Amino acid sequence: MKYILLMSGSKAGVETYRAWSPKDIDAHMTILKGISRDLTESGEFVATQGLEAPHQAKVVRGLQNGMPITDGIFPESKEFLLGYWIVDVATPERAYEIAGRIAAAPGPGGIPTNMPIEVRQFACYPQSVK
Amino acid sequence: MKYILMMNGKKDAWDEYAAWSKDDLRRNIEFMQRFSRELHDSGVFVDTKGLALPRDAKIVRAGSGGEPVTDGIFPESKEFLAGYWVVDVENPERAYKIAARLSGAPGPDGKPGNIPIEVRQVLNSHNDLGF
Repeated sequence: MKYILLMSGSKAGVETYRAWSPKDIDAHMTILKGISRDLTESGEFVATQGLEAPHQAKVVRGLQNGMPITDGIFPESKEFLLGYWIVDVATPERAYEIAGRIAAAPGPGGIPTNMPIEVRQFACYPQSVK
Repeated sequence: MKYILMMNGKKDAWDEYAAWSKDDLRRNIEFMQRFSRELHDSGVFVDTKGLALPRDAKIVRAGSGGEPVTDGIFPESKEFLAGYWVVDVENPERAYKIAARLSGAPGPDGKPGNIPIEVRQVLNSHNDLGF
C-alpha cells in the first residue's frame, strides 16, 4: 500500500525555520536523511521531495487570451506543502509509525519539532495510471 | 526545473464530484488521461498520483515516547490534496501553461472547471533553499 506523508506549514512557520542555527538545521537534516536511509534498507522508500519556499508559489486558473491566469496571493492561514515522503508499506499503522519518526525530528535545541504529518493513501483513479 | 502542480479541495468538493453524472465523470477522466499522455509525449512528464478520500486522512504527531499519535479531525476549512502532477520544464511559464490547461478540465455539462492549481518548484536538494 502506498502512502504519502505530507509536511505542511504556514509562511510564518517557514520564516521561523529560516532563523534556526546551522547546528540545529544540521541535526534536523541528519535525522531526516537517516529516516530515508532506513526506509531504503527496509524496501519501503519510494520517493521524497522538498518544495521551494512558499513565496514562489503561484496559483493558476484557466487560460485568458491563451495566457494562464496566475496569482501569488494567499491567505495568511494557508498551509503550504513543504515536502513529502512516499512509502510503500504493509499497513497504515506502519505509515503512521514512519510519520511519527519524521514528526519527532529535532528542532531548535534538539527538542522534537512535533510537526504534524498528514498521512494519505494513494487512490486508484483512472487518471493516476501512467 | 521540476514543478509540482497540485489540485486541492475542501471535503465538500469530493461530495460534489461524487454527485456528477456518469457523462460528466467520463469527460473529466478522458481529459485527464489525454492530458497525462500529452505530457508524456512532449517529454515533460515525471509523475502523477491521485490521493484517497479526505475521510481516510490522518494527522500524525510523535508521542512522548516517540510513538505515533494519530488524529483524523480537521477543520472544515482545510484544503486537502486531491492529486498532483510533477513536470520537468524549461521555465516556470511553461509550468503555468500546463497548469492552466489542467484548470480547464471539464466539469459538469462539459464546462471548464476552472479549478485553482497550485504550482511549486521542487527542490533538487535542501541547499536550494539558501539557508
